[in-house]
Amino acid sequence: MTAVREAIVLPSLFLTVILAGGLRPGAPLVLPPPSLLALILAALLVGALVQSGAFDPARLIHGRRTLLANANGSVLLASVFVAGAQVFSLLTPDSGAPRIVFGVYFLLLMLNTIAAGPDRVRMLRSLGVTFGAALILKFIVLDALSDPAGGRLARVLQLLFEGATLGAVTQGAQHPSAGYLALVTLALFLAAIWMLPARERGGALVVAGRS
Amino acid sequence: MREGVVRSAGLTLTIVYAALIGWLFARQPATLAEVTGGLSSALGVYRVDEQAFADGVRYFRNEQFVEARAAFDRADPARRDAVTQFYVAYSFYRQGWGRLYSDDALFKAGLEAIDRAIALAPDGRVVVEQPDQKIRTADELRAELEMGLRRDASDFNPLRVFRERR
Repeated sequence: MTAVREAIVLPSLFLTVILAGGLRPGAPLVLPPPSLLALILAALLVGALVQSGAFDPARLIHGRRTLLANANGSVLLASVFVAGAQVFSLLTPDSGAPRIVFGVYFLLLMLNTIAAGPDRVRMLRSLGVTFGAALILKFIVLDALSDPAGGRLARVLQLLFEGATLGAVTQGAQHPSAGYLALVTLALFLAAIWMLPARERGGALVVAGRS
Repeated sequence: MREGVVRSAGLTLTIVYAALIGWLFARQPATLAEVTGGLSSALGVYRVDEQAFADGVRYFRNEQFVEARAAFDRADPARRDAVTQFYVAYSFYRQGWGRLYSDDALFKAGLEAIDRAIALAPDGRVVVEQPDQKIRTADELRAELEMGLRRDASDFNPLRVFRERR
């Protein structure tokens, strides 16, 4: 991996994901920090990426590298973690039963991915499908169910749905640009994950104390 | 050598970008104007629109409080000026004050504005020396607003009707 990619391109991409992922457009602007669950999920995500070989932290932080190179590596590692947390936060609904369901869905998927131990390609494909599905559910399906500006029939159906679910599913109205922003953020995140230094072919993950 | 330059530049850029993001999350600006105003204030180049401020004070003295706040919002869109925020709070106080009861919503908005003013002022001290003005400091205004929001036995004192708006 080139120094430009490691020191400039990837940290900038992940920091942009952190910023855009935390942004809830509308009036007023809101910048919520990631939840505790999102941080835990991000830790699992980093673990899954390392296990699959999609991300090799040993190529970023190493005793034989210079201090400056290790500083770049540390910053990149931290930005991957926080960006991951922001993406989970972005894709999780803000309230009610969907928030819990999405949290459990992400947790089980991350644990299942770690247990399955996929290779890099399958891991990236799995992430694309998981995050893409969550994006569609949150910004298209849930948004349509919670849309206050629908027609009369839509409002009647929404009222019935709210009654049947005791109001536990519908969410607060989102700004029209929220879905587009989420899509761009997710695309940036997946592209940045794809560009991370992967474990080299034939290389093994060396664990301290083992050969 | 070139790699060292790239890495140093990258680290600096990343730290600056991360600091900006951290600042945004810490300050939680509600509008784009607050973002730009906050940044220009941090760089020491933020200026209040003097004309809009003068308009605001004129409206305030004419008891046109909604118009006054519109002018103050124009003068200080980023809400970074302590004196302007003092006047915003004062306009909420005067508009919400009533002989029998005060308007809680306006007083709460006033309290938020005066807290902003106190937070912005050096050492938290805001003094506006105007001879015809009954409240000249943020501390006095804050106390009036808090008193208006408090519920206690003195609310039932009939002599309250004789008190004066400051």
